[in-house]
Amino acid sequence: MKVRDFESCKRSVVAEPGEVSRSADTGVACGNSFGAQPILLAGQVVHSDWARRMLTFLMVIGPGIIVMVADNDAGAVSTYTQAGAQYGMHLLWLLLLLLPCTYFVQEMVVRLGIATGEGHAAMIYKRFGKWWGLFSLVDLLLLNFLTLVTEFAAIALAMSHAGVSPYLAVPLAAFGLILMIATASYRRWERATVFFCGLNLAWLLLAFHLGPPVGTIARHAFLPEIPPGGITSGLMFLVIAIVGTTIAPWQLFFQQSCIADKKLRFKDLQWSRLDTFIGACFTIIFAGCMMLVGGALSRAGIHYFDPAQMSVALGKLHGPLVQYTCLFLMCNAAVLGATAISLASSWAYAEVRGWRSSLEHSVKDAPGFYAIYAVGVGLAAAIVLIPGAPLQLIILSVQVLAGVMLPSAIIFLQLLLNDRELLGDEYVNKPWNNYVNWTIIIVLFALSLILAAQVLAPNLFPS
Amino acid sequence: MATMLNIKDRNERRCFYVVHPLDDKPELKRSADDLGPITMTPSVKWSLLALRGYLVVMGLLVSYQVLNLSGLFGHHIK
Repeated sequence: MKVRDFESCKRSVVAEPGEVSRSADTGVACGNSFGAQPILLAGQVVHSDWARRMLTFLMVIGPGIIVMVADNDAGAVSTYTQAGAQYGMHLLWLLLLLLPCTYFVQEMVVRLGIATGEGHAAMIYKRFGKWWGLFSLVDLLLLNFLTLVTEFAAIALAMSHAGVSPYLAVPLAAFGLILMIATASYRRWERATVFFCGLNLAWLLLAFHLGPPVGTIARHAFLPEIPPGGITSGLMFLVIAIVGTTIAPWQLFFQQSCIADKKLRFKDLQWSRLDTFIGACFTIIFAGCMMLVGGALSRAGIHYFDPAQMSVALGKLHGPLVQYTCLFLMCNAAVLGATAISLASSWAYAEVRGWRSSLEHSVKDAPGFYAIYAVGVGLAAAIVLIPGAPLQLIILSVQVLAGVMLPSAIIFLQLLLNDRELLGDEYVNKPWNNYVNWTIIIVLFALSLILAAQVLAPNLFPS
Repeated sequence: MATMLNIKDRNERRCFYVVHPLDDKPELKRSADDLGPITMTPSVKWSLLALRGYLVVMGLLVSYQVLNLSGLFGHHIK
């Protein structure tokens, strides 16, 4: 390797073709030369260690923020605002409890993705065989597609309340979603998506404007309590829905593939963990804000059935700016969820089939990968526009499938992270990781079984 | 950072060279291609067995719910 152009801050490093990167902090003295047929590595020169760390972090950040914030999709907006409407701030502590859970689960994905450079679906196929691989893939594709339909349903609902016809809004959204990935640039897609994630900061403004004093919020967040009325079937269902919304199966597949596509390196692990942790904090904060916004109307004695109705009711009380901000945020959540979920499906299917599966490839180079994305988005948008489409049945199916798939997806993740043959001693779970993760898995299984028991015995908990 | 270079320029000023992951050289990752299926340790075996049991239970439950909704058991859930 050698460094050229010392006068400029925009420099290039020259390396031998195919040379494998060295370990994290291996510095190479300037002027060294190893190869006769060099390739250029574009980079940035900085003059302090602080700037180096900051710039590296900014280059690595993305997958963690996106996966976490996109998790607050249209379904999540509905669930959290509903929780706020029914129980006010009494379930805020649950969100705080879910922060470490969601971080620990996704941290495992980060390690697996960086260590193997491959997606989750391909890894299940290779290590657990075709049967489990096919089960995971079909389950993921089906669940993601049904979820995608609900995202478009939310866009249609929000835009119709904003006075825009769904027949205009939904095709436009579908077109925009396809355009987002069709530029053959991972970086362009990531920047656009992080920008959409940033728009979620408006939830903070809404919660600040509509919510109660910070002291009251903090008390409810840090002191766990059973809401007034005790443990009822409605409360149990909502708790399970919140847990299922916060930790979703597609997140595992999405983040691992995203890390593989971004080609994150071993040395990026600490920054990728930080990226995931910041994302987890944001998703929980935004979820809390949604609960507070949902609770604002119930405090005023106004009830509603969906977030779009909530936005209209808020508009009557607090003005059109609040109404349109809510509707816009609902659409934004649906768009973010739709791009992440569709990409999770495309990456998973293309990886298993051995197709090219990178946003860095052009449509011509990776036709199968882009076709799955476009067909999924197009079909989901079309279903929403069919008059009388069974959207309620689809929403119910999403909940059932998510409930079935989440524990199984996490089991595979946990087993892969204990796969010493694959990961070696460095990346495999430490004992404390296993204690934490098995606890999370047992809780998830227990919640799924409680949900199942409620179906069999509806009077298990008082209504 | 991969190609972070702790270098000194003409003025003996420290320089760090930071490269975006997408622009960096490919790394040799841990590959599962040559490993074959995972070793069936007791924990793997029991976990997969528990998963099978869970899936059977959930499958039966979903079937029961579908049949129940279709009115096979003589009443409908409203």
